Amino acid sequence: MALGIACRVSGAFIAVMLIALISVLVYAAWPAIRQFGLGFLFSSEWRVNEIERPLRDAAGKVVMQDGEVVMETLAPAFGALPVIWGTAATAVLSLVVAVPLSLGAALFLVRVAPKLRIAGPISFLVEFLAAIPSLAFGVWALFVLAPFIQNTVGPFLQRVLEPVPGLRWLFFEQVTVAGRVLERPIPITGRDLLSGSLILAIMILPIITSISRDVLRSVPRAQIEGTLALGATWWQSCIAMLRYARSGLLGAIMLGLARAAGETMAITMVIGNNNQISPSPFAPAQTMASLLANEFGEASEGMHRAALLYVALVLLVMSLAFNVVARRLVVGKLASAGSGH
Amino acid sequence: MKLSAKETRRRAWSAGMFALCSISATAIVGVLLFVAGYLVWIGISSLSWEFLTTVPTGDVANPGGMRHAIDGTIILVGLATLAGVPIGVLAGIYLSEYPEDSKVTGPLRFIADVLTGVPSIVVGILGYELVVVPVARMTNNSVSFSGYAGAAALAFIMIPIVARTTEEMLRLVPKSFREGSLALGATRAQTIFRVVLPGAFGGIATGVVLAMGRIAGETAPLLFTALGSRLLTHNPAEPFPSLTLQIYTYATGPYPEQKRLAWAGILVLLAMLFVVNLAIRVIAIRHARGRLG
Repeated sequence: MALGIACRVSGAFIAVMLIALISVLVYAAWPAIRQFGLGFLFSSEWRVNEIERPLRDAAGKVVMQDGEVVMETLAPAFGALPVIWGTAATAVLSLVVAVPLSLGAALFLVRVAPKLRIAGPISFLVEFLAAIPSLAFGVWALFVLAPFIQNTVGPFLQRVLEPVPGLRWLFFEQVTVAGRVLERPIPITGRDLLSGSLILAIMILPIITSISRDVLRSVPRAQIEGTLALGATWWQSCIAMLRYARSGLLGAIMLGLARAAGETMAITMVIGNNNQISPSPFAPAQTMASLLANEFGEASEGMHRAALLYVALVLLVMSLAFNVVARRLVVGKLASAGSGH
Repeated sequence: MKLSAKETRRRAWSAGMFALCSISATAIVGVLLFVAGYLVWIGISSLSWEFLTTVPTGDVANPGGMRHAIDGTIILVGLATLAGVPIGVLAGIYLSEYPEDSKVTGPLRFIADVLTGVPSIVVGILGYELVVVPVARMTNNSVSFSGYAGAAALAFIMIPIVARTTEEMLRLVPKSFREGSLALGATRAQTIFRVVLPGAFGGIATGVVLAMGRIAGETAPLLFTALGSRLLTHNPAEPFPSLTLQIYTYATGPYPEQKRLAWAGILVLLAMLFVVNLAIRVIAIRHARGRLG
């Protein structure tokens, strides 16, 4: 009896955890939700304090009155578009790097490694390395990857790509100074979208690889043997496997995406932490998680904190959605294939 | 036999993709080993006895060690485990052993899965709003960052993991064991405590130790809860140091000597995780032996 009660209470506790998570965030973010509504997601202003600046007319000239500069005051404003852009850009870029490598490695682990008797050691290694905390990857990225991109990769790419017509946006940004649009080179610092995406890619490699391996392993042998019996080459039978397991693989990729979107420490250390939207991978950026890590500690009471909590809520809802869809895909696939998961 | 052009192309394509797959596997293992090797290599050259035994001096040229942070991490993980394991294991038993409640346990299992995917920075913010702010209000302090708040955030991460692992491990215990026990007149509680839990002990212990390793490496949930500290404190009611927080502060700071300490800290953290992994293997082997015997 007592055990039954204790078990039910503990089970209920898990439900309470989720309810607390959502309701506390909504409650604390409420001032920002009420003031900005859904427009928060599409606004790119992020001004923590109000600023005063000279008023300019349509031609960009400073407005003078009685020999004095007329000032205008900009109220604090909060919008999540720059961090949504930063999160989406780093996540997509890291998937572009990690997915082909992971799928290739998963195929290798399922189709080749068992014959060479190295599937066990490689799997063990990949899983052990998946346990390295993100802080360790962050420190490595900060001291090794970022300088490497700043001193070697960046200058090399600039030399090769800058003369290519249509690729100037990679290395130059448009800025408006005193009402005029100027083009200025983006300094390559190694703390930018590219570094952030690459370290994310390295971190999600083990996850996508090991889940894809499980999914591919659950493809019935008869499927593979059937294609081979029909005269398919090794690669053609791999294609058949990938096609058979496509929804599970999509789930594996989405779990990687969820991890990439919620990842905090490593990316905070190399993303450059600048709330701006720039298409260039060499420009510093900011993700939802890195914004929270950087600003929440300093945010006093008021709209700044509420806006940050709104960002946290968006991040939570997004990663919950990714997780729900991904788990449905992966678990459904593994269960329907009748493997013991 | 002479192959047609199409056949040759088909085979060449296959061989090429085979090579690419092999290269992918090599590249992944290579990159990860390079990162891990680099961390260990630089860490070893930065590690000293002083690092393990002294606390920060406040002097940036000779910053002392991380004794306080190592103690802090051990205490935080210990507190989180004390709170998280009973709740997690009991919830896991509920998910597995109460099939008559399947209308509740089904959604609950799903919620536990979803909770394991919550970004850790969001957990930290929840800890701030749910523990730090109310405690500050109750005690009329302006801030009340504490080790307890940090441990609560870590327990939040730990509970769903432990619950799901416990459930999976209990499910591996054959149904006939339970039926045999019940047929002998044991109550359900006796069956669970004497038959099912001992049968799954190794697996549950492995899951718990894995979860401990996971939270020992967490930084984001502690940023706004434990806050970090440069003092050697064993009182969790105060702002509390942790290895990860101290590494983060030093690594992102401007002083080269502190950056060196960050590398050493990473090595100590990795060594702790390695010990944890070793412990898992020992548990698993013992458990397997116990089953055979």
